[in-house]
Amino acid sequence: MDRRLFWLVPLALLPVPLWLNPYQQYVLNTALVYIPVGIGFNLVVGNLGLLAFSNVAYFGLGAYTSGVLMAQLGMPWWMTIIPAASVGGLAGSIASIPALRGVRLFYLAIMTLAFGELMRWTYIRWEALTGGSMGMAVPTADLLGWPLDSDRRKFYVFLALVVLTLTLTDRLMRSRFGRAFLAIKDNEISAAAMGVATDRYIVLAFAWGGAVVGIGGAMFAISVGHLSPVSFDLTELIRQFAIIMVGGLGSLIGAIIGAAIITVAPQVFISFPGFDELVFGILIVLVILFLPRGLSSLLARVHPAFTDRFYRG
Amino acid sequence: MLTLLPQLVVSGTSTGMLYALIALSMTVVYRATTVVNFGHGDMVAAGAYAVFVFSLGFGLPFLIAMLLAIAVLFVAGFATQHFLLQPIVAGPHLSLAMMALAVGYTLRGMLRLEWGNETMNPSRPYPQDVYMFGTVVVTTDDVVICGFVLVLLAALFVLLQVTPLGKVIQATFQSQRGAALVGINVPLFHALMWGGGAALGALGGVMLSMITPLTPDLGQWTLVQGFAAMTLGGFGSLGGAVAGGILLGITEKLLGFYVNTVFIEITGYLVPIIVLMLRPQGLFGRRMTVRV
Repeated sequence: MDRRLFWLVPLALLPVPLWLNPYQQYVLNTALVYIPVGIGFNLVVGNLGLLAFSNVAYFGLGAYTSGVLMAQLGMPWWMTIIPAASVGGLAGSIASIPALRGVRLFYLAIMTLAFGELMRWTYIRWEALTGGSMGMAVPTADLLGWPLDSDRRKFYVFLALVVLTLTLTDRLMRSRFGRAFLAIKDNEISAAAMGVATDRYIVLAFAWGGAVVGIGGAMFAISVGHLSPVSFDLTELIRQFAIIMVGGLGSLIGAIIGAAIITVAPQVFISFPGFDELVFGILIVLVILFLPRGLSSLLARVHPAFTDRFYRG
Repeated sequence: MLTLLPQLVVSGTSTGMLYALIALSMTVVYRATTVVNFGHGDMVAAGAYAVFVFSLGFGLPFLIAMLLAIAVLFVAGFATQHFLLQPIVAGPHLSLAMMALAVGYTLRGMLRLEWGNETMNPSRPYPQDVYMFGTVVVTTDDVVICGFVLVLLAALFVLLQVTPLGKVIQATFQSQRGAALVGINVPLFHALMWGGGAALGALGGVMLSMITPLTPDLGQWTLVQGFAAMTLGGFGSLGGAVAGGILLGITEKLLGFYVNTVFIEITGYLVPIIVLMLRPQGLFGRRMTVRV
């Protein structure tokens, strides 16, 4: 099977909105939002192998950049995508500074966790821009003057953005940059000894991951239409961890599977607050114990085309 | 302005003692197993809720409720290590961190499923009073928290320095392989330390529930404050955790009063970032890591 056949998947998705009611369409859109989030997170944690827990910070910064530019400056949504990606990428490069200084493992996790919480506090306190803990309403989005006023219209824009980020990240991972990431994950010291400029690649991976997640944030802003700091707390971090762990660490297909499951599953028990946390917690535990490569490794058993080549256990 | 300094130090020490207890319970687990328990905050919250359930739900006396909560959390911590972490102990660090995080997440889900998002204010088991020392106001909360933590610290010190069990603990802290060679059951020891850490955390939760309202999200804040105290004192140092906790409590109050009130909220976030950038070994370095 040729990997180019994967292009049939987005094509096959094109007519799907015709059969969906508005609620199902909204859930599907949310799943699409979380695919770039999973891709960016996976790049740093799965492929580069560094414990960076600041993914929610990039997500929130992307979402607020998009929302604030629309609400305060009246910019159309499509023009805010690149600023959102830039802010996310910048935050990623900032979060990589401790990694460059040799902070690793749990220490890096704690620092980046604190960075994410600091950002959440910023959304709460910078009330003039963000509306504080009450949150802010995001104006109606549009694409080159075409109003994205229904979830069905957003779906097609989101689908295009997901395909774009997936393709670009796939390209990146198959270039010398991606190979350098894998070398750093395998053995950082020997990678450096072989002439890989590890510092530069670590910054690049963080920045790319942050930018992709920032795009996811811009999508999130118009998908929910209302931003509040609660959406970017530690619970959200664990939800995003669940995406990459359940889907499969370091796997692009895993990010898609994870995003779909983590978005659709809570809808089943949405009326019981806490039940989703309980189920995700148990799900992550079971995956780590019995399926350490995630659900995408089951697909790889079905057909080798699904084998991801970017992960080293 | 300066006349308030002693007052700030006193109330900062009281909060700091709480941070110290939480950081200490995290350090016990970290030192024994070299795994950082990212679910520890939720274990602390679960401990606070357990006391709430046993004392108000079942109408038991407070002291018995507290002992039961400690027992429950000990079992939970023991089981987490024995059934969930031991099987993947040779795996990547990410899996270990995620496993702890997922256990915490599950606990938080259980709390939220039962109690929703409401906050609760458990009543104190002692009358509230205020003592005046010159201009310094000391509340019963301050006295109870400081006294309780100090007694615990003394007990821990005796346990580690004097008892045979303490020798086993110190031996395993120093070298797991060496301990295994002289016949210490290291996996059992790890599970016991996880149980002990969770039980200590539950005690922290009990103290915490007296001064702040309970919500299922209490664990998030607790985790970050615990990390801040640990990094400030020097990661993995038991004495450092205590000193770091107290220092964090005082710093937070001083910065909050003399610079800007926002520092009460963000000191816990800034401390790990600044300390790990400037002095990764923390204030007390590595030399203190072996003894209390």
